[in-house]
Amino acid sequence: MRRAITYPLVALGAAASTVVVASPALAHGYVSAPPSRQALCAAGAVAGCGQIQFEPQSVEGPKGLTSCNGGVGQFAVLNDESRNWPAKSVGTKVTFTWVFTARHRTSDFEYFIGNQKVATVDGGNAQPDAVVNHTVDLSAFPGRHTVLAVWNIGDTANAFYSCIDLNVGGGGGSDPSTPSSPPPSTQPPAPPAPADPPAAPADPPAGPADPPAAPGPGDAPPAAGGSGWAAGVAYRTGDVVTFQGKQFRCRQGHTSLSSWEPSIYTLALWLPL
Amino acid sequence: MRGRYAAALLGVALILAGCGTDVQGAQTTSVTAAVQAGETFNDTDVMYLQMMVAHHEQGLQMVRIAEKSGKRAEIKTLAKAVDVTQADEVKLIKGWLQGWSKPVTVDHDPSLHTAHGGLPATGPEEMAALRKARGSAFDATFLNLFVAHQHNAVEMAAMERSGGANAEAKAFAERVRESRADQIKQMLNLLNS
Repeated sequence: MRRAITYPLVALGAAASTVVVASPALAHGYVSAPPSRQALCAAGAVAGCGQIQFEPQSVEGPKGLTSCNGGVGQFAVLNDESRNWPAKSVGTKVTFTWVFTARHRTSDFEYFIGNQKVATVDGGNAQPDAVVNHTVDLSAFPGRHTVLAVWNIGDTANAFYSCIDLNVGGGGGSDPSTPSSPPPSTQPPAPPAPADPPAAPADPPAGPADPPAAPGPGDAPPAAGGSGWAAGVAYRTGDVVTFQGKQFRCRQGHTSLSSWEPSIYTLALWLPL
Repeated sequence: MRGRYAAALLGVALILAGCGTDVQGAQTTSVTAAVQAGETFNDTDVMYLQMMVAHHEQGLQMVRIAEKSGKRAEIKTLAKAVDVTQADEVKLIKGWLQGWSKPVTVDHDPSLHTAHGGLPATGPEEMAALRKARGSAFDATFLNLFVAHQHNAVEMAAMERSGGANAEAKAFAERVRESRADQIKQMLNLLNS
C-alpha cells in the first residue's frame, strides 16, 4: 500500500533514548483550538505569560486537579483571572482540538465546567490518533465559561491540563441566568453577533493581510521602496528591504519572524543586493 | 517525492542563475560555505545535529505535502518558506557532521522512545493522516501536526543549548528556538482565525 512508502524518515527515537534524561521538557500536549490559555500565550495573543509561552505543552500535574496550571508554580499565570483571557465565541457544540508533542498512551480525556464534568472520552489506553478532535455539547451552558480539559495519561500518574475560555452560543455572556462559572472578568465578552453566532471575536491577526501566494522567481514585481525589515510582515517575492544598512530582495514570500531577518542563514529567503 | 525534490533543487538553481549578477561574492550564495563549525564539539552536539537532520527531513516532507494540499494561501506560503530555509539548514548541519567525520543519520527506532513513556509528535500514522487529509481538514491537520513537530524542535534546541559544546551548533540551536517559536505563533493564530 501507499503507506509503505509514506514514512521513510521518522523520528528521533534512538537518539532521544539516551538524551531524554537530560532533556528539559518531557511534555506533551494541550488544546490548540479553540485556543487554550497556554495556546493564547504561545500565539502572542496574551502577552507577559512567562515561560509557558515557549512550552504550552508542559502543563502537567497529578491526575485529579482542577486548576488551569496543573499545579505547576511557574505557570500560575494560567490561573490568573485578572488577565481577562479573551473568550472565543463558539456555537453550542464545540470541537476541541489537541496538539501532542509526545503521544502517551491515554486513559481518557475529561472536560469540566466548574466542578461539573461535561464530557469523558475514552482513550482505550492507546496512543492518541494523529488528529484528535472532541465535539462536546455545551448547549446547557450558554454564555461565558472556562472549560477545563484534562488528558489523563495511561502509563503515568499524571495528566495534562488546558483551560479554554468560551462564549458559548456566540454571545449572551451577560445573561444573568448563566450558571456560575469561574471567570469574574470585568471585561464584557465580545458583543453578540446575532446574525452570525459562531463568528470569531477579535482574534489577533496573524499579521498584516497576507498577499496571495508568492509568484514564482523570475517574475518578481517591482520592489516597493526598500523599507526596513521587520518581523511579522507578509513579504512577497521581489520585495526589497533594508537591514543593517544593506538591501535585500525577497526570494520566497513569507511572513517574517524572528531569526528570519536577512543574513547568511536566510539566503533562501533574502538575496543581498 | 523524488521528482518534487529535484524540481525544488532546479528552482534554487534557476534563482541562483537568474540573480548571479546581483551577488557580491560567492560566499553570499551558500551558507554551507560561509559558516563552518569549529573543531570543539561533544557528544551532545553530534547527537543534536544528527537528530535535527532526521527531524528536518521529516519536516520537509510535511511542508512539501502542505505546498500541494494546503487550502489557505497563508499556509502554502509558510510551507514554502519553511521548505527553502530548512533545506538549507539540513545542508549546513550535514556539512558540519561530515567535517567532524560523524555520520549524518541516526539509527531510527521510535519504539526505543516508547520505553520512556511516549512517542514523539510525528510518526507514521501522523504522516499518513496528513497525506490523506483534504481541504479545510488538511489545513487543520497540518497546523496541529506541524505545531507539534516544531515544539519538538524547540525542545531539542534546549537540550543543545544546555549540553552542547560547539559554538556554531549552539548558535544554530538558538536560531531554531527563535524561528520555530515564531512559526508556532503564526500557526496557532492561523488555526484560530
